[in-house]
Amino acid sequence: MEKAKIKASQLFILVVLFEMGSAILLGLGVSAKQDAWLATLFGLAGGLLLFLVYYQLYKYYPSLPFTSYVQKITGKWIGRLLGFLYVIYFINMSTRVLRDFGELLTNTVYVSTPLIVINSLMMLIIIYAINKGIEVIARVGELFFGAIYLMALTGILLILFSGLLHPENLQPVLEYGWKPVFRTFIRETLTFPFGEMVVFTMLLPLLNNHKKVKLACMGGMILAGINVSLTIAINIATLGVDLYERSNFPLLTTIGKIQLANFIERLDVFFMLYLMIGCFFKISVFFYAAVVGATDLFQFKNHQKLTFPIGLMILLASVTIASNYAEHIEEGLRVVPVYVQWPFQIIIPTILLIIAFFRNRKKKATSSP
Amino acid sequence: MRKITVVTLLVIICSSFLSACWNQKELTDLAFVMAVGIDKGEDKKFSVSFQIVNPANVNLGQGSGGGQGLPIAVYSSSGDTVTEAARNATKQISRRLYYAHTNLVAISEEVAKDGLLNILDVLDRDPEFRTTTQLVITRGTPAIVLVSSLANLDKLPVNKITKEIKATEAMLGENMQITIDDFISGLLSKGKEPIVNGYKVTGDVEMAGRAGDLLETKTKAILSADGLAVFKKGKLIGWIEHEKARGVIWILDKVKSTAVNVDWGEKKEAITMAPLRTKTKVAAKIKQGKPVIDISIKDEGWISEVNTAIDLTDPNEIEKIDKLVEKEIKRQIMATVKEAQKMKSDIFGFGEKVHKKDPKLWKKLKGNWDEHFAELEVNVKVDSYSRREGIRTKPFWSNFNQ
Amino acid sequence: MSILSKILKKEQKRRQDDNYRQQQDPLKPEDQPILRNYQDNIARIKEEFGNSTDLCLREFSISNHKGIVVYIDGLADNKMISEFFLESLTEEIIDHSQDSFQKLMERAVGLGNFQIISNWNEVFDSFLSGNTLFFLDGYSKAINVETKGWNMRAITEPSTQLSIRGPKDSFTETMRTNTALIRRRIKSPDLWLETIKVGKISQTDVAIMYLKGIANEKIVTEVKERLNRINVDSIIESGHVEQFIEDQVWTTFPTTFHTERPDVVTSQLLEGRIAIIVDGTPFVITVPAIFIQFFQAPDDYYFRFDISTGIRLLRILAFYIALIGPAIYIAATTFHQEMIPTTMAIAIAAQRENVPFPAFVEALIMEVTFEILREAGLRLPRAVGQAVSIVGALVIGQAAVQAGIVSPVMVIVVSITALANFSTPSFGMAIAARLIRFLMMALSTILGVYGIMLGLIFLSIHLCSLRSFGIPYMMPLAPFNIRNQEDVFARLPIWAMKNRPKFISKDNMVREGENQKPGPSLEEDDPSSKGGS
Repeated sequence: MEKAKIKASQLFILVVLFEMGSAILLGLGVSAKQDAWLATLFGLAGGLLLFLVYYQLYKYYPSLPFTSYVQKITGKWIGRLLGFLYVIYFINMSTRVLRDFGELLTNTVYVSTPLIVINSLMMLIIIYAINKGIEVIARVGELFFGAIYLMALTGILLILFSGLLHPENLQPVLEYGWKPVFRTFIRETLTFPFGEMVVFTMLLPLLNNHKKVKLACMGGMILAGINVSLTIAINIATLGVDLYERSNFPLLTTIGKIQLANFIERLDVFFMLYLMIGCFFKISVFFYAAVVGATDLFQFKNHQKLTFPIGLMILLASVTIASNYAEHIEEGLRVVPVYVQWPFQIIIPTILLIIAFFRNRKKKATSSP
Repeated sequence: MRKITVVTLLVIICSSFLSACWNQKELTDLAFVMAVGIDKGEDKKFSVSFQIVNPANVNLGQGSGGGQGLPIAVYSSSGDTVTEAARNATKQISRRLYYAHTNLVAISEEVAKDGLLNILDVLDRDPEFRTTTQLVITRGTPAIVLVSSLANLDKLPVNKITKEIKATEAMLGENMQITIDDFISGLLSKGKEPIVNGYKVTGDVEMAGRAGDLLETKTKAILSADGLAVFKKGKLIGWIEHEKARGVIWILDKVKSTAVNVDWGEKKEAITMAPLRTKTKVAAKIKQGKPVIDISIKDEGWISEVNTAIDLTDPNEIEKIDKLVEKEIKRQIMATVKEAQKMKSDIFGFGEKVHKKDPKLWKKLKGNWDEHFAELEVNVKVDSYSRREGIRTKPFWSNFNQ
Repeated sequence: MSILSKILKKEQKRRQDDNYRQQQDPLKPEDQPILRNYQDNIARIKEEFGNSTDLCLREFSISNHKGIVVYIDGLADNKMISEFFLESLTEEIIDHSQDSFQKLMERAVGLGNFQIISNWNEVFDSFLSGNTLFFLDGYSKAINVETKGWNMRAITEPSTQLSIRGPKDSFTETMRTNTALIRRRIKSPDLWLETIKVGKISQTDVAIMYLKGIANEKIVTEVKERLNRINVDSIIESGHVEQFIEDQVWTTFPTTFHTERPDVVTSQLLEGRIAIIVDGTPFVITVPAIFIQFFQAPDDYYFRFDISTGIRLLRILAFYIALIGPAIYIAATTFHQEMIPTTMAIAIAAQRENVPFPAFVEALIMEVTFEILREAGLRLPRAVGQAVSIVGALVIGQAAVQAGIVSPVMVIVVSITALANFSTPSFGMAIAARLIRFLMMALSTILGVYGIMLGLIFLSIHLCSLRSFGIPYMMPLAPFNIRNQEDVFARLPIWAMKNRPKFISKDNMVREGENQKPGPSLEEDDPSSKGGS
């Protein structure tokens, strides 16, 4: 475990960047049609509840990362197995985000560039960052946080001034009732991006002020949730539901529509800027969690030794994980939420919490008299 | 581990440097396609023509020299799909066709009548295409004539067409900018049908692509915007023209300025009112289980021409004019609506309004909306205000007649 | 102060001696006493000094004791010594009762600060730093009189860091002058100065200056430690010291700040920074340095805050242009042609029609040409410099375009980049941008904007990982600290900058009193209310 310490404000920013990460880019909650933004807000609410589970676990073991306390809760061997599975899960998630990222670029601007080149260069940067440690990543986050907000604000202003916003596209609200919204919430928005907060169970012990964990994380989630929801609403209001549904990357299409004063047009590049920053943090956090977890499980002295092999693994897996974008998305929408996200984000932590609760009560009961 | 890192780094960096031209395209290797024209092919399905700009001949700066020869070159090729035609065209062109600056897609009336569905996807899917590319239908003439015609005011001929549409939208209100995206979203929506600008070349069509035509102040071939094409299920079914076209633009709330003539007393078309600001609101309401559309137009303008004796200092007179203008606008709008209803094509998006007003009712009507649209009750309400009358009060007619 | 510095000096000397013994340095005499016979002494000096011609030996006699004066011509004040000879030594001393050495000492008081030395290693130290030594026959000791007085450059206007408004003096090559320039500005006993000698052969004086109570003690000890660690034969410029005490070697960014302006050093000392003054150079180092500091020009604080803020933002923008200007040109013309407005794209295409090179090569040619031009202009004598700029303007500008080697747009890009680069107040930061620019150009050639962004993210990680004497380099930005934002992008009015940067001076933070906001005084009668009543 790295000795580094991060401030609460840095954790907050990391949470925001992580949660927004790729969620803003993709057409989140498409199956809820024009109520996608609503489904996202539901996802946020569910995510906050989920986070309370992680938080409770953290409160039992405030100085240990997930992979350590899971061993204390379930015993050494099961715990190690679980910890190992979580490391694999984190690796898998960063692989998926990296693939998303690469697909985005190869689908839009770099049509004839091989995916591996795009991904490997990004991975190089990330490995460099991970080697420098979480403190540096957090600081970079602070640097880019302002930049992202500035960009987002400019973007919104440009969309407004181009007269692209048609709020009537968001009507009628709840046309098909609550059912599709709820289904989207369970299938998509709860687990992605809000349930992914599970990765922060690895980072929470690094915070220098334990009291502020709840504030920083939940505040970050709320801000990110509102941002994502707002972006979706703007996308739908600009594009209309059917174009939103048909776009691989609705935000890109929205930005492409901006046309102002005859020369501010084709601002796709700004989309790319956001894309890179967002994905950088998302991959970094997952990657870092995986590295820290592996370091912790296999008792390495420092994490630098593991960054390169794990990084290489992520890179290679990101290229081989699916043969085309449709397959990748299919996996992401059908397989991953049900068979990966649900167990890892919801089921296992909840069970762990229940066991931990009884264990600690027993301990208290035995120690107090 | 460090060594491996360094080696891998070097390999990656070197390999990317050595083969660094995946997406790189030098400006001089690109053929900027400014406009694409799609006609019916002879043996293949489509004949596609590309207007390519010749940068050296577009005299933009002082230092760029050039100015010799024509600013554009047109190539055409055929294929069963647009992509195939585009690839076939490379046989004739020394550079890579580049569509990111394409401003115009012209489609001939013939093709439009057969349906645009087979053309649209490539325009929508290719990331290189701008979503803001304009769409026009050429009336009477093949699209290649439009694509290969020259213009004497604009350095890039394509700008003549796109700017012309913009200008008429702003000054006359009989055409509006319609992009590929607009068209597709109209096509997909159940409660709305797309419209497209019509364009035609009149006069000596043969002269359209010749440099000689530009040597005269009055070109022999005349390009002009003309009417709106009405589509249904992706097929051209008819045209709406002049005043009725303006009615469409008006209902769609795109009119910025125009001119409305009204009669005064005996004299026909005696007064012209030019709106400066207009705002159209379209609302649906449900009356006895049936949708009713209310169109309310509010416009403010100035009296730009008075060809009869009226005392414009008298507010009552102005009010009278306002009433006449209101009536005239209402008449035009109603005529437009009737025309569209006759074609059974909901180009105004009334269906979407109904959808938003009452989703349940819409579900019932949606399947057969065209029929419902044809019988739809539409109410028009116009509020017109003349705010100014230029720098004269009484027209000279007042003294002239005495 | 002097006690402390003496202790430090001794400590330093001992440590150095240890080093020398370990390395068996042949240049240094053993720790031997001075001989009684003055002729032997002279012979030894001459021998060890290789009969160097600037060694001055003047014999004299006092009360029948033969003696000799040793000093180095040019280092010691020649005039002073001559006058001393005229006044004190030529007149015959009748009184024989007194000890001759004692007598000599009494006279030497008139010359200046003196001390008695008896060891050989001190002999060289003393006259090599401009002192004069008096040997007297029959005594195994010598008198060391401070007679430093060499020709030094007068205090002139700063030549590299100009400002519109502000003091016009600058440091010189003499350390004493430099410390005096600072002391004149901070009249406080808390301004502490410690001197050590660095460089085995050169024995250069290096001074550490800081404000006791404001500077962070930890950093002060760290600086001392790092300076003491230096084991090198010579220190010629503060740049040498800089390279020995940096936190990180593998970076193009300067992690120490250097300046030749006393006002800058003063204000930095007052913020808790530590100045390192090296003898023989007008450039004073201050540490710790943070990124944003390199964009703060001295005028910023002398002009109104709103104007300064605007100008500072402009500078930061210029830094980015200098960094990625040509890279963006390359990316836009070879990858993202859709970004450029149509007419402009066609105009650029028309210009590039006759250029035989790809955009990257074109940019490289122009950039390299410009860098050569700049380098040539820098070193040339002023008279020739003019010619270079004419040639450069012709080559870079018109001729290159007319010959069809580059396009006019490229010339514009290069010129703007160059201008932007010049607008960074610190040369060290500007030169870092220059170097990285080429990397950015290469990246944008491979992958367009993606490459540029990769480069920028890499830079950000790198900058965030840098430290200067334990202080994170991007300090008030990352880690973000709201209280220290008063002098980052925006420069608040001086009266609103209540605190010193927290990250440097940990304890003593408040620098001004309450209610410093200016305004009409309350007691003053309000003219409007007067009129009313």
